[in-house]
Amino acid sequence: MNFLRGVMGGQSAGPQHTEAETIQKLCDRVASSTLLDDRRNAVRALKSLSKKYRLEVGIQAMEHLIHVLQTDRSDSEIIGYALDTLYNIISNDEEEEVDDVEEENSTRQSEDLGSQFTEIFIKQPENVTLLLSLLEEFDFHVRWPGVKLLTSLLKQLGPQVQQIILVSPMGVSRLMDLLADSREVIRNDGVLLLQALTRSNGAIQKIVAFENAFERLLDIITEEGNSDGGIVVEDCLILLQNLLKNNNSNQNFFKEGSYIQRMKPWFDVGDENSGWSAQKVTNLHVMLQLVRVLVSPTNPPGATSSCQKAMFQCGLLQQLCTILMATGVPADILTETINTVSEVIRGYQVNQDYFASVNAPSNPPRPAIVVLLMSMVNERQPFVLRCAVLYCFQCFLYKNQKGQGEIVSTLLPSTIDATGNSVSAGQLLCGGLFSTDSLSNWCAAVALAHALQENATQKEQLLRVQLATSIGNPPVSLLQQCTNILSQGDKIDRRGSKIQTRVGLLMLLCTWLSNCPIAVTHFLHNSANVPFLTGQIAENLGEEEQLVQGLCALLLGISIYFNDNSLESYMKEKLKQLIEKRIGKENFIEKLGFISKHELYSRASQKPQPNFPSPEYMIFDHEFTKLVKELEGVITKAIYKSSEEDKKEEEVKKTLEQHDSIVTHYKNMIREQDLQLEELKQQISTLKCQNEQLQTAVTQQVSQIQQHKDQYNLLKVQLGKDNPHQGSYSDATQMNGIQPEEVGRLREEIEELKSNQELLQSQLAEKDSLIENLKSSQASPGTNEQSSATASAQDSEQIAELKQELATLKSQLNSQSVEITKLQTEKQELLQKTETFAKPAPVPGESEAVAAAKTTDVEGRLSALLQETKELKNEIKALSEERAAIKEQLDASNSTIAILQNEKNKLEVDVTDSKKEQDDLLVLLADQDQKIFSLKNKLKELGHPVEEEDELESGDQDDEEDEDEDNGKDQGPI
Amino acid sequence: MYIIIGDTGVGKSCLLLQFTDKRFQPVHDLTIGVEFGARMVNIDGKQIKLQIWDTAGQESFRSITRSYYRGAAGALLVYDITRRETFNHLTSWLEDARQHSSSNMVIMLIGNKSDLESRRDVKREEGEAFAREHGLIFMETSAKTACNVEEAFINTAKEIYRKIQQGLFDVHNEANGIKIGPQQCISTSVGPSASQRSSSEIGSNSGCC
Ligand SMILES: Nc1nc2c(ncn2[C@@H]2O[C@H](COP(=O)(O)OP(=O)(O)OP(=O)(O)O)[C@@H](O)[C@H]2O)c(=O)[nH]1
Ligand SMILES: [Mg+2]
Repeated sequence: MNFLRGVMGGQSAGPQHTEAETIQKLCDRVASSTLLDDRRNAVRALKSLSKKYRLEVGIQAMEHLIHVLQTDRSDSEIIGYALDTLYNIISNDEEEEVDDVEEENSTRQSEDLGSQFTEIFIKQPENVTLLLSLLEEFDFHVRWPGVKLLTSLLKQLGPQVQQIILVSPMGVSRLMDLLADSREVIRNDGVLLLQALTRSNGAIQKIVAFENAFERLLDIITEEGNSDGGIVVEDCLILLQNLLKNNNSNQNFFKEGSYIQRMKPWFDVGDENSGWSAQKVTNLHVMLQLVRVLVSPTNPPGATSSCQKAMFQCGLLQQLCTILMATGVPADILTETINTVSEVIRGYQVNQDYFASVNAPSNPPRPAIVVLLMSMVNERQPFVLRCAVLYCFQCFLYKNQKGQGEIVSTLLPSTIDATGNSVSAGQLLCGGLFSTDSLSNWCAAVALAHALQENATQKEQLLRVQLATSIGNPPVSLLQQCTNILSQGDKIDRRGSKIQTRVGLLMLLCTWLSNCPIAVTHFLHNSANVPFLTGQIAENLGEEEQLVQGLCALLLGISIYFNDNSLESYMKEKLKQLIEKRIGKENFIEKLGFISKHELYSRASQKPQPNFPSPEYMIFDHEFTKLVKELEGVITKAIYKSSEEDKKEEEVKKTLEQHDSIVTHYKNMIREQDLQLEELKQQISTLKCQNEQLQTAVTQQVSQIQQHKDQYNLLKVQLGKDNPHQGSYSDATQMNGIQPEEVGRLREEIEELKSNQELLQSQLAEKDSLIENLKSSQASPGTNEQSSATASAQDSEQIAELKQELATLKSQLNSQSVEITKLQTEKQELLQKTETFAKPAPVPGESEAVAAAKTTDVEGRLSALLQETKELKNEIKALSEERAAIKEQLDASNSTIAILQNEKNKLEVDVTDSKKEQDDLLVLLADQDQKIFSLKNKLKELGHPVEEEDELESGDQDDEEDEDEDNGKDQGPI
Repeated sequence: MYIIIGDTGVGKSCLLLQFTDKRFQPVHDLTIGVEFGARMVNIDGKQIKLQIWDTAGQESFRSITRSYYRGAAGALLVYDITRRETFNHLTSWLEDARQHSSSNMVIMLIGNKSDLESRRDVKREEGEAFAREHGLIFMETSAKTACNVEEAFINTAKEIYRKIQQGLFDVHNEANGIKIGPQQCISTSVGPSASQRSSSEIGSNSGCC
């Protein structure tokens, strides 16, 4: 306030006085008038004065205006005027536009005014809260000036205003609604407000992001036509940048919200020359920077790589590479695109591999890397573009052993394209290294150094590179050529700073030799090198040479530190003595220190990107500064160490090495044991697996056996019901489903046979009794002719019956014998079946014991079956014997019949002779004869026992004799 | 999208870290404001990205963390079973949450550090009772052993998902999204199966603690 008074007092009091009075009067009206119209007019008048008499209005009216905001909320017009007036007082924007001719002094004064008034306004935090609540008013006249006023407050005293908004409930969230306002002016100014609100305040940035800012801003950018959109696109992009820059949480949210994918269409600029308006260039520039924010090398490694991954997966990197290779792209866009691609691929193998595969659409197609390197070593290209290409190349090689190998291999004799048709990366680098342009020298040297970074293999490989200098001269190694140029540097006329060339080469050599004793040996092998270095360091040169001296000291130090003492004349100790004699330890260390004390050193050590305001500043490479940091201390120590200490250290080293070897030994042992362990583990797991399988198999088998047992028991029960006495038989049958039926059938048939046999026997018995009857009737033939006639009639009837019976018997016998043979063959078959069944293991896969048990079981059953069969056979034999006996009996009865016939014939003769009355009988007898004859014929026809028939006929006489015997033997009682 | 709230040092950040990175951080790395974390999970056969905001428990950050209630569809309210005062503060947390959030916000009560059984200061039954009383889902977890951590987050997400399907949240307008993957749209997944899911199932506890 003192300041304000001072300013006021300083100004001429005369003409201003009246204005001050007017303002005072207006303020009084605002404060005391009871009429709204009156107050409104007064505020309007204040507003019109506020631009010209900013100071006066500010001082006198501020509190009245705030009061209006508090009390007159119902009238949007007066609120609008009040806000406008406050804006005019606080904002510096208008001032600058109006009074751009004013002196600098005055501008500074007005800036101070703005912040002073802001301070007054926010002294009461409720004023800010009040303003926030006014922003909820939808009326354009309130909202718009409100937005502008708050933006100004934030621009003036950002942190304080941010803090007030942060602690007021839902303060930030409410401001987010501005982005949804349908009135473009408010939406666009809302973006500006949010820009000011989010500037360097992580907490607010996160809340804004949480309130869906990404979605809304990306929507606006899309609606506005991406890079073709107007300034609102730029504003949105800057707001996005505010939200994302150095805010890991928001970056993570952006990536996880899949918003990276939505960036891809931004870069769909194609080749169609829709023109490159200034706004489009600006928009694209910010868009590219936004991509870089997400993959910045300063982000946490994990965060960057996950964004790099997403950028490849959604095709963003590919899209950027298209721009890279397109024509007609403005140089600064191209440069920024190269920088962007650099960071999208840096240290991420997949993207690096993709980049290596990109080809320029030239004829024949050339790798993008080659095309870019051509620009790097081309003097006519803009400096920033050349820096960008170097950065891109560095990023391509960063943590990319594969890429490093590919680049170095283009320099090796075996792979150089003899036809010279296509230029290789290696050729371009060599060309740059030895060109007459010092900038190219520096860039090529640094680029080559990056192909060696942390890669011992390539450091050794590069030693093989030979260069053909001029026709007739022998080829020179690349290493030799580098040192040659260093030592004779002054002879070549170069454009640009000579220092740059030497610094570049020295950085390359330091990188090459560090951690590579073979390269050190190669370097020392050239006897000119050490004297050159000591000469450089020892000389008392001007300030500008100090850096080169420092680098020479570093190179010499590296030659000592990484020396494996393989060269007699340049052993560690000898080199150190040389330093002491020629330079002095102190001096050497001082010179070494020049590097890190250089003014450009710390600048380069901050960021990997080679970003120099102009070519003169191009001195240090970022990776090289890391190397210096790493080596400065250890080299200093190595130099100060006495030879004794050195020896001691050597010893310590040796013991350490021994220890190391012991440790390695143990490590190897552990590794081996680990391997063994692993193997054993695997074995265990396979064994476990097998065991499990076996166990499941066993369980399966057990269950199968159980099943079989159950089946067996079931069958047993069933068979027991059917055939209670044939348990053992059914035991055998349970194994085979076909057998029980057949055996059953067999048994049935045997049963039938038996009953048949019984039948036959009973018939035989009948016949026996018949014959008895006949015999008894014949016993008194003469006594009663009448009766005998009837008897003989009866007889012949009986004979006929007998014969009939005989016939049926015979046929039955016949069929029985057929059946028996059938049964026998069936039985044979069954036997075979049981045999074949018994042979294979009962259940495949069953354990042997079980199988053996089964087999014995089956064998037992089989033998039982065989026994049974034998018994059945015996039965059959007995049956057939019985049948034979029956046949004999039949024969016997037949012969009896024949005898009876003879007797009857005699009787007939007797009867004919003696009794004519018995004619009828005779006729009957003749009939009988006839009948018997036909029966005989029938028997004959049946083709049945022809012999029997013969026997019957021819045996009539024989039978008589036989009969006697038979009678004597079997039929004694007859 | 949900938030983790509760007193400082109860293990909110550790729970999130365990869920997103399967790591445990033994040192108390005081959260400043809020930190964002995300992970894909599978719910009812759908890939869903959970967006989680881990808030600072310290009193001085309350005003900042309150800004996150409105947009959140769910909250994990965490206390430390070895420190009774963190349990006693639950009521004030709950009031705060209910006051500033949508009424449909799913709140899961978490008793963390269940691995420190010997130093237990709050009985499991007490947690259960508090949850029952206030209609919350309850679980005891350990960010150290990862016990129940997965379940806590996923069950909360399931519950939110269920409410979304019932139309209790408007996924398109409000910034309360569980973000549904691009492959499916909400309208097709609304079905009777969603409402059949009982919340008791969600509250069920695998009981490894
Ligand atoms: N034994 C054990 N310790 C835990 C567990 N969870 C967290 N801790 C420890 O508790 C301390 C606090 O954990 P944080 O996750 O940082 O606590 P916070 O809730 O995020 O705290 P604020 O960020 O301040 O709100 C740390 O030291 C953790 O190691 C757990 O389940 N078991
Ligand atoms: Mg925390």
